[in-house]
Amino acid sequence: MDTVVACETCGLVQEVGAVPKGSVALCARCRFHLVHRKPNSRLRTFVFSLAALILYFPSNIYPLVTAEYHGLHSETTILRGIHTLFQERQYFIAGLIFCTSILSPFLKIVGLLLISITLDWKGWERTRTWTYRIIRIIDPWNMLEVFLLSISVAMIEMGRVATVHPGPGVFSFTAVVALTLLATLSFDPRLIWDSPAQKKHYE
Amino acid sequence: MSDRTETGETTKASHELPKAEIRKTRRAWWLWLIPLGAIALCVWFVYRDYIATGPLITIYFGDASGLEQNNTQIRYLGATVGQVKSLELTRDGHSVEVKARLAGSATQLAREGSVFWIVRPEVKLGAISGLRTIVSGEYIAVRPGNGARTNIFAGAAREPVAQEPGALNIILLASELSSLQEQSAIYYRGIQVGEIVKYQLGSEAQDVRLQARIHKEYAPLVRENSKFWNAGGIDFSFGLFHGAEISAESAKTLLSGGIAFATPPEPAKPATDGAVFRLYEKPDDAWKNWMPVIHLKLPDQAPENTESNQLDLK
Repeated sequence: MDTVVACETCGLVQEVGAVPKGSVALCARCRFHLVHRKPNSRLRTFVFSLAALILYFPSNIYPLVTAEYHGLHSETTILRGIHTLFQERQYFIAGLIFCTSILSPFLKIVGLLLISITLDWKGWERTRTWTYRIIRIIDPWNMLEVFLLSISVAMIEMGRVATVHPGPGVFSFTAVVALTLLATLSFDPRLIWDSPAQKKHYE
Repeated sequence: MSDRTETGETTKASHELPKAEIRKTRRAWWLWLIPLGAIALCVWFVYRDYIATGPLITIYFGDASGLEQNNTQIRYLGATVGQVKSLELTRDGHSVEVKARLAGSATQLAREGSVFWIVRPEVKLGAISGLRTIVSGEYIAVRPGNGARTNIFAGAAREPVAQEPGALNIILLASELSSLQEQSAIYYRGIQVGEIVKYQLGSEAQDVRLQARIHKEYAPLVRENSKFWNAGGIDFSFGLFHGAEISAESAKTLLSGGIAFATPPEPAKPATDGAVFRLYEKPDDAWKNWMPVIHLKLPDQAPENTESNQLDLK
């Protein structure tokens, strides 16, 4: 097994000897934790993406915004917002919001779950690789969703002075965004190609 | 560590810095709390919805103009208690089937005897109502009944006349409606003590029957020998000795009409429900000077000292 590790913080490549159980190696230069693989990477990824999947449903069912205007009551879910934009012939923005707010979080969550579940399965290396590549492609687009959301809310609700409250959907939606972020952060892509023996070694 | 240089490290780096730290077992189970928390949040959302959701009721309106799907609210006592979910024409094409979702706290409104009506802006002489609805749109108002639970209602065309418990209902016969309307006030010494509920032509078309209601606390004022007269409009009289005389009960009666009444100094038995009185066009001069002693139980009335501070109004 290799004993040379690059520090994730400062990039220093160094040799690491045997680390006894219950202890941790520190980088020679920056004194930060030095690991072969991110600790508990698989469990963390699985747990975070599972929580994100659970909250994905309420975030789309429940209204993100409830607006009150002199007794007029309107509730806006993401899907209804997209529908409204579509009716207003804003096809591009409607499509963009659909892709970044509904499609890409779903793909990302399912992809991360798939990888973390199949991590031990033999012959799935190529599937895992492809899934990971897709996640890497759609990941930057996820950053757009919060930004686009604020625009869509403004587009739907502007023009009337109204009291706008965040609905229950907005909490789960924020949680989904945060959880998928944490899931990708805690995932170590090197695990995709590790053999079971290597996994045991790096644990 | 002391002879650390930039180049020296990259070429010859082999440090091992073990440091005891126990954490693995603790972290592992802690992580499972995250999906559990997510499930708990979902359960809470569903539970809250379940609590907040009442029955889906169906109301049939002859005219549902102004109602909007997923928007129009049902209100009771100023609180929003439901929302219209769908509007559909009934199969016979004569009315509109309105489906509305009541809030969980308003489930007891879905009872037999509950009346639903649509509040629209209305401008009448003497009263402007539903002004808010010009801006906010129509809403459905409800007056709760107390029958058995039901989910199907026939909507009323307009606000139903409130059944006031304990109020005295009397009938006034007039030769002409003149300026009287529904909700025209009935005055006793200039104080409103009741109103006209409904009017219709008599069955033989010889008179106008006015259904009037006297509020509970003022009911004892109406005796079998009380006299009612039309107080609306302007009473204009010109006499040789006292010049011109103009009188009107109040500015309001000038516009919306009104009825006044007086009870003789020797009051007869209190009038019963359904008692019939004649409505005179003008009062006798003597009627206005009648000042009988009638004991009332008025809310918020300071206890009076009987003899000491009684003034002779005459």
